[in-house]
Amino acid sequence: MQEKLTQLKKTTLSTIAGAAGLADLEEIENKILGRKAGELTELMKGLKDLPLEEKKTIGALANEVKIALEQAVAEKRSVLGAKDAEKMFAAEAIDLSAPALPKNERGHFHPNTIVQRSIEELFSKMGFIIADGPELESDYFNFTSINIPADHPARDTQDTFYVKDHPAWVMRTQTSAVQVRAMREHGAPLRVIVPGKCFRNESTDARHEHTFYQLEGFAVDKNLTLAHMKGVLETVARHLFGPNTEVRLRPKFYPFVEPGVNGEVTCSLCAGSGCRVCKHTGWMEIFGAGMIHPNVLKEGGIDPKVYQGFAFGFGLSRLAMMKYSIDDVRLMESGDLRFIKQF
Amino acid sequence: MNISFNWLKQYVNLPDSVSAEEVAEKLKLSTVEVEGIEHAGALLGNVVVGKVVSAEKHPQADKLKLCQVSVGNERLQIVCGGSNVREGMLVALAKVGAKVKWHGEGEPITLEPAKIRNVESFGMICGASEIGLAEMFPPKDDHEIVDLTDVVAEETVGKPLAEILNLDDAILEIDNKSLSNRPDLWGHYGIAREVAVLFGKNIKDYKTKPIKPAKKSAVSLAVEIKDKNLCPRYMAVVVSGIKIGESPDWLKARLSAVGIRPINNVVDITNYVMVDLGEPMHAFDAKQLAVNNKQLTSIIVRKAEPGEFLTLLDGNKIELSVEDLVIADSEKPLALAGIMGGEYSGINDKTETIIFEAATFNASSIRKSSIRHSLRTDSSARFEKSLDPNLCNDALNKAVELLGETCRSAKVEALVDEKHFTVATGPISIEKNIFAKKLGEEIPAKQIVKILAQLGFELSDKGDKWSVKIPTWRATKDVSMAEDLVEEVARIYGYENLKSALPDMSIAPPATNNIRALEHLLRDVLVRDMRASEIYNYSFVSREQKEKMRDGAEYLELDNPLSKEKPLLRRSLLPNLLENVVKNIEYFDAIKIFEIGKIFTPELAGVRANLNGSELLPRQENYLTFVAAEKKNDKPYNSALAVLERICEELSLTFVIKKSETKSWQHPTRSGEIKIDDKVVGAIYEVEPSVSANFNLSVRTAILELNIDALDEARKEAEPLAYQKLPLFPEVTRDIAFTADKSVAHEKIISAIQGADALIKNAELFDVYEGEKISADKKSLAYRLTLAHAERTLNTSEIDEVMAKVNKALKVLGAEVRG
Repeated sequence: MQEKLTQLKKTTLSTIAGAAGLADLEEIENKILGRKAGELTELMKGLKDLPLEEKKTIGALANEVKIALEQAVAEKRSVLGAKDAEKMFAAEAIDLSAPALPKNERGHFHPNTIVQRSIEELFSKMGFIIADGPELESDYFNFTSINIPADHPARDTQDTFYVKDHPAWVMRTQTSAVQVRAMREHGAPLRVIVPGKCFRNESTDARHEHTFYQLEGFAVDKNLTLAHMKGVLETVARHLFGPNTEVRLRPKFYPFVEPGVNGEVTCSLCAGSGCRVCKHTGWMEIFGAGMIHPNVLKEGGIDPKVYQGFAFGFGLSRLAMMKYSIDDVRLMESGDLRFIKQF
Repeated sequence: MNISFNWLKQYVNLPDSVSAEEVAEKLKLSTVEVEGIEHAGALLGNVVVGKVVSAEKHPQADKLKLCQVSVGNERLQIVCGGSNVREGMLVALAKVGAKVKWHGEGEPITLEPAKIRNVESFGMICGASEIGLAEMFPPKDDHEIVDLTDVVAEETVGKPLAEILNLDDAILEIDNKSLSNRPDLWGHYGIAREVAVLFGKNIKDYKTKPIKPAKKSAVSLAVEIKDKNLCPRYMAVVVSGIKIGESPDWLKARLSAVGIRPINNVVDITNYVMVDLGEPMHAFDAKQLAVNNKQLTSIIVRKAEPGEFLTLLDGNKIELSVEDLVIADSEKPLALAGIMGGEYSGINDKTETIIFEAATFNASSIRKSSIRHSLRTDSSARFEKSLDPNLCNDALNKAVELLGETCRSAKVEALVDEKHFTVATGPISIEKNIFAKKLGEEIPAKQIVKILAQLGFELSDKGDKWSVKIPTWRATKDVSMAEDLVEEVARIYGYENLKSALPDMSIAPPATNNIRALEHLLRDVLVRDMRASEIYNYSFVSREQKEKMRDGAEYLELDNPLSKEKPLLRRSLLPNLLENVVKNIEYFDAIKIFEIGKIFTPELAGVRANLNGSELLPRQENYLTFVAAEKKNDKPYNSALAVLERICEELSLTFVIKKSETKSWQHPTRSGEIKIDDKVVGAIYEVEPSVSANFNLSVRTAILELNIDALDEARKEAEPLAYQKLPLFPEVTRDIAFTADKSVAHEKIISAIQGADALIKNAELFDVYEGEKISADKKSLAYRLTLAHAERTLNTSEIDEVMAKVNKALKVLGAEVRG
């Protein structure tokens, strides 16, 4: 029996070593170690008929052979398993450079929307109400209420679309038209921004559009100063153009503010050193701004002796164009998906 | 407007170290926009007057000459290709180191000693375009050099050409738009006044000698102003003994420098005074004015009569409006007041007696006439800014003085000054603390007083207030209240010196704009969930678009559309979106686009047009319109419906689609209105095929229109979303498939199924088939039913019983259950 065991061990180890695959190995395992009819199992069944002394030594040997064979099977299985997995992985390899198919088209926001929302969020955080007003506006709110009476030369600079049979109606030329409406609605103190569509009767080319988007902002309280206006404009400029952006104010006349200024920011492209975009000045003209004219506050039902405030405005379409280096404003309202799908 | 730096320096003593660039920079930061600086002699560094001592043929080139050129202290050997170079000629000589434009083109290059065909050359004899003088010395051909022989004196040889030609000036180009509120800045003296303040210098007085009319004069003049509001002052002087000729060189040079073409000694004076003082003047040939029998010439300032015509100096004949102010004699209009003179009474070579006019006209009247006749002149640009009537006197004095200098025989015959004006110079009383209050910066009182005084304001101290007298040149329009003075101080103090601060404000959150929030939510759903793209279109549509839609509704129309193409205000976002589809389907197989914007409905009332009164603007509702169009998809309606479902899901709203009156552009059997809580919030439809054809739409197109304002109202009334308890006992699902007539609506079927037994908790349609496999009037439908009991688990017989009831209910509808 001892001999049989030794022989079995020897032959089995060599068949295990020669197993070609996992299935082969399984067969060998069953044939030798199978619980029901395995050769070793059968041999070990004979142990019980041996004398006690032999039972001990042969039993130990049989156990040793069983462990050795089991170990050999396990080792072989791991080797064969790794080989099989390798084959499988090789078969399952994918092209990492290929795109996902089928192509999943995504939707696209208009670039103006992207810029407008970002600015709306900034101002909301600063406590500004987001207001809106009619696009077909009365002459009164578009001009007169903001200190541009009939015959004022400032009306010349804004070529206005008028409405047939309604001489006192215009397509609003500026979002400032909402100032007095908002003052009447909310009273002082107030903080408001008005992003919106505006219209000017001018011929279109790469840099001019008769329909465009502006953002008007204003704040009224008892102690708001021009210094505060400068602070707010700096905040906006840094939000738009980066944390190192500087704001420079220069005098500029607007009928609805006094003092009136032009807000320039350091050129985002050259950081102020001068380039083609800023016409080598280092500055880009972005804001019109100033302290709200007392006449406008009066029209808004706010006592200019008690309250004062600042107003500012800028072109949203222009900001969107600057952000994405869009060189032709006409694309904005072209409805061309080849353009829109880039955003 | 062009401002000559040298001219400015005539009125302000600026140190030589101050450059035109520095002046421009300060003006930009405190006063006006300076768009550019033009250095007249920019290319004249190291260019001197040279004399050609000898000019011989180049030994190795036929077209070149070898010249010896004297530049005073030395002689230079120069190789020259000039076709007109000759011995004894005075030339513009660019020495080594000069920067010239090679053949007048490209960036300037710096001259170095060079060998030209083996002969050394130490500089260049220049053609006009090579040193930027082509306008002054127009060359006849490319190879011609500037001939200075008759232009400069022999003594100037060796001197810098810029100095000799008075080209050491710099011209500041000022943006007229930035001057619209500053009538005082429309001439050199006004700008000089600002420059003086900005550099802390004194402005020289504008000195003129008063006009002394002759005691005995041959001509007498009367001025009658019919409308004193439109002409608060009219000064006129009659000068005889005039000999029309060229102006002196200095005057011509001054005018040329600022871009005005010299004409003759009289007209040049009027132009000079205008750009010097800012007061436009006019000169009439007195002989052309009607004279009455007492030798009295009358000037009448009046409105034009109906049907009057005037031929202007530019040769154009215009029909005057009765709103136009004209200068007339007793018979006819002579000039369009403040805008342009008439041809008939203009100065010509034979003029012997002139009338100089210096007047003030009503700004608004000038502006209207100028717009009416599309005539924007240097004169009208100034008058429409509200000029100070006090300017007239200085202007007329200056003009007569200059005339005396250029025309010795000139004799003043008569002077008239009709004036009816006051200038609101105040004084106004202002709180001393208003500067700190408005600017947020404590500027020392001393500095405030100094700035205002320099600008010409007269301040007197009244305790905590100042009483401020406004100088006349600032009082006509620009400055009238405390805030105006705050601006004066702030801009001179320097906006860059004001420290910025952020306001302390209430932390109360701002009121939400529900409509805007909803718009953004809709955008998110459409772009992120439904993968649509957002379009912005114009608010205008064309009559053709209206006709293509067969829309009979009334549209608002622009009075002055940019193009005749699209004069109507859109009543719907649809027409422009359909055009977007036509344009884009060339490039894309499937289009899902939307727009959010306002539409204009004239028959509905909107917000108030004014603070008082009952006038209302037309309603301008916010709309969302989604468009789906796909090649090879003959039922895009489903795409639109999916969007509607997703939106209502997002908003927790339940909608129904009901058949309604079909609009002409809606497919009659594929259209319905969308209702939430029985209120119409929009419409969903496919575009009617013949309308599609009108638009050249090659694909079937479905539309979802939502009135965002109505949707927002519906949202306010929506039931808040609440959690449902999870079932305690298992739910059972059963699918049921059957065919039914196409005319049997899902709505009816689902209500039949759900009404069949209380154990049916839910029923959902999950498949529809119409096609070849079943008869043409039938559809095959499959529903998934969910059955449950709140208190126990259902057994098979109960379930079978329920399904039998469902079968029965379906049979009532004519359905044939399969399997």
